Amino acid sequence: MINLENISFDHCIKCTICTGYCPVAKVTHLYPGPKQSGPDLERLRIKNQRLVDASLKYCNNCKRCEIACPSDVKIADIIGSAKWKYSKKKLSLRDFLLSRTDLMGRVSTFFSPIVNFFTRLSVVKFFLDVFLNIPSKRKFPKYAYKTFRQWFSKNRDSQENFERKIVYFHGCYVNYNDHDLGKAAVAVLNALKIGVVIAREKCCGVPLIANSYFKKACKNANHNIKTLGKAVESSDMKIISSSSSCTFALKYEYANLLELDNSPIADRTEYITEIIYQEFEKGNIPKMKPVNIKAAYHAPCHLERMGSVIYTIGILKKIPGLELKLLHSECCGMSGTYGFKKECYQISQDIGSDIFKKIDKIKPDLVITDCETCKWQIEENTVYETIHPVTLLSRALEANNS
Amino acid sequence: MNYDCIIIGGGIAGLTCGIKCASEGLRCAIISSGMSALHFSSGSIDLLGSHSGQDVIKEPYTELNRFIEENSEHPYKKCGADTIKDAFSFFQNEVSAQGLDLFSNEEKNHFHVTPVGTLKTTFLSQQSVFNKKIRDAFFRKPKIAVINIDGFRDFYPAVGRINLKKNRLFKDCEIITGSISLPDIKLNPKNPHEFRSIDICRIFDSYLDLNKISSLISSVAGDADIVGIPAFLGLNNYTVIIKSLREKTGYIIYEIPTLPPSILGIRLDNILKSRYAELGGVFIAGDRVIGGKISNGILEYIHTENHPETRLYAGSYVLSTGSFFSGGMTSNVEKIQEPVFDLAIDYDKGRENWRGQAFFHPQSHPFLSFGVKTNDYLNPYGPSGELIENLFCTGAVLSHYDPVKEGTGSGVAISTGFLAGTQIVQRKTGQNKRDHD
Ligand SMILES: Cc1cc2nc3c(=O)[nH]c(=O)nc-3n(C[C@H](O)[C@H](O)[C@H](O)COP(=O)(O)OP(=O)(O)OC[C@H]3O[C@@H](n4cnc5c(N)ncnc54)[C@H](O)[C@@H]3O)c2cc1C
Ligand code: SF4
Ligand code: SF4
Repeated sequence: MINLENISFDHCIKCTICTGYCPVAKVTHLYPGPKQSGPDLERLRIKNQRLVDASLKYCNNCKRCEIACPSDVKIADIIGSAKWKYSKKKLSLRDFLLSRTDLMGRVSTFFSPIVNFFTRLSVVKFFLDVFLNIPSKRKFPKYAYKTFRQWFSKNRDSQENFERKIVYFHGCYVNYNDHDLGKAAVAVLNALKIGVVIAREKCCGVPLIANSYFKKACKNANHNIKTLGKAVESSDMKIISSSSSCTFALKYEYANLLELDNSPIADRTEYITEIIYQEFEKGNIPKMKPVNIKAAYHAPCHLERMGSVIYTIGILKKIPGLELKLLHSECCGMSGTYGFKKECYQISQDIGSDIFKKIDKIKPDLVITDCETCKWQIEENTVYETIHPVTLLSRALEANNS
Repeated sequence: MNYDCIIIGGGIAGLTCGIKCASEGLRCAIISSGMSALHFSSGSIDLLGSHSGQDVIKEPYTELNRFIEENSEHPYKKCGADTIKDAFSFFQNEVSAQGLDLFSNEEKNHFHVTPVGTLKTTFLSQQSVFNKKIRDAFFRKPKIAVINIDGFRDFYPAVGRINLKKNRLFKDCEIITGSISLPDIKLNPKNPHEFRSIDICRIFDSYLDLNKISSLISSVAGDADIVGIPAFLGLNNYTVIIKSLREKTGYIIYEIPTLPPSILGIRLDNILKSRYAELGGVFIAGDRVIGGKISNGILEYIHTENHPETRLYAGSYVLSTGSFFSGGMTSNVEKIQEPVFDLAIDYDKGRENWRGQAFFHPQSHPFLSFGVKTNDYLNPYGPSGELIENLFCTGAVLSHYDPVKEGTGSGVAISTGFLAGTQIVQRKTGQNKRDHD
């Protein structure tokens, strides 16, 4: 049966502008580009599912095609759901491991010194390369010892004193890898006189979607819609996240791609810098000391798709002593787990090569970006420390307190 | 307040305005959804091509005063001939500072060839479409070779040749056609590759051996003087590629604009965006402005589709959302509307009068000149008729001009974008509105 509700492909005027902005099609002929893989082939796929072709896996879901399309065709959603609906997921240990960020995190944070030691050994890297098709050139992000939640539960009491509160969806990265970012988010929100609440949460599902584990992604999504929805139902609290991709999933992907009812949380969910921006606009700006640095800012694809870059730049411009260089908006190539796959590694590097060169030319003191996987890509390919805008904001506050 | 000026729509009008404001040190943001009409355009800039749609204007600056007199509600009337001239020289300087030179025929119009071999009057073009050498070659009745690349389906040299031959200018020129195969290209055998202008452009930009391609071109073009080739000679390295092909083959290399995506247009778009960014402007590409709050003749704030609850504040705002094609105007069975603020518009209420007699007609289509109604300073009127002082409208969203019939498309966009920018800078620096007389 043809689903007549989902015919945004019919708005396509065949201008091929989307393909002009696809970072993957730009660097490889293995991928025919969004126009062909999206609206063109969807016409055939809805009639005969066997016409699905394997090149769909090269789409890294950056959504840049959708931003470019003058006719509002939901190209990446068409491609994403084609992967889900028409193709069978082959068993892959690698994809399983890469996409189970919370499972891997729980195990690894417990043994973090050992895990961090082993993932940096060349023998282990060789093994991962040969048996799991994870390129040996990739560095794994370091795991933290214990979880952010454990830290937070010890500090929960201090949050009770705030009249206004917000639900913070910390995500896997903060929980298992970068507690400092979570702590920075809490510190900045507290400085704005907002207390932090943490609900029960599962991985937002972005890595699961990217590796076509749609059933598991739906399960996680339903869990998050339920628990986050419950946390805000009897108040006007907002839900925020410090990860652009988690925010994107909660707010849009659950409904547009997974076709779930995320109405209890969709309108409440915002990316963290938007909330901070709103406070700044109201005049609620904490005291900050000049940071006196030059920084290059890279806008992640999903933040771009949400139109939220304006808020991040808005708050960065309020940090005294920050010389901000905006990088031309383009995909860095990492795209979550994409760059960790051997078959996509070179594509991922080629996509990012322009950005690396531009950063080197600027010679900044550090790079700022909102997304953890962009951070990994930039740190691996340049010599510069790469941090989250909220981390920089908290450093400006710290300077003030000391 | 974070911004002095927020511009809605990032086509040539919005970008010109943004560059003007940013170059004067204003904090600017452009919010734009979807790529603009530049991606569909020839990449050449029209200033004024015709009074009636049937005549051809040779010297647009000379004719401007008469044109303005005869069209009292035209956006050009609001700019005035001097501002239009200033706007063009500002525009030309800014794109040139970013590395793209635009050529005019010593302030006269010239023509460019369309993908089907017809001619269009225009005012500024990139070097591969118009320069002094091309013009001089025409006086010598050159031999022309129109060449395609095998597999490119959006261009038919034979059709181009037939149409060119119908034209007086080309009647005595020998025109030959041919095609070449790109050497060493890497295509995926599993995918019936698309091979549109953008795909070929990327091959030129990345790894094509220009020596090989030059000798292939020479083998087809023989003793021709000019080689016409679809405009896909690179998006990043086009200056080097075109220069090198010219030197290696000895021909004048002429780029013919293609069907979308138009590489010539995208080059201009990229240059304008880089210029704007270099001057410190912020460009937000992933969101659409859906409305704002207007009270007492002032637009207080705006909000967007993805963030309906967040208010974006600025001192001045610009509406550069284009015409029907870009969603700046919308229509349904009953009426025509400006969708963001529901501004007052000029249009013919009788639906039967919206379109012309034929699809291609010198008199064009009436709907093309429907648009937002503004005062002499480009300020529009709100839904209840009140003037909105800090909102300026520029480009194709304006009423009373027909880019097709008059050949004024990008000219109006540049002139009104520049005029709005100038006024916003003045507002910011506390000066009074310029003396219009
Ligand atoms: C197909 C085509 C070809 C043309 N070719 C030529 C040519 O070769 N030479 C020439 O001189 N003129 C040409 N023109 C005339 C053209 O109208 C102008 O030259 C010029 O491009 C108009 O620029 P603009 O900035 O006013 O609008 P546009 O280029 O249409 O830009 C408007 C932008 O605003 C965005 N937008 C719309 N609504 C919103 C919203 N609510 N929120 C945020 N963003 C929004 C749109 O997505 C778009 O990116 C052509 C026009 C068309 C339609
Ligand atoms: S940009 Fe949009 S309309 Fe153009 S080909 Fe791509 S999907 Fe179709
Ligand atoms: S989502 Fe990104 S990678 Fe996928 S088709 Fe669109 S532009 Fe290309």
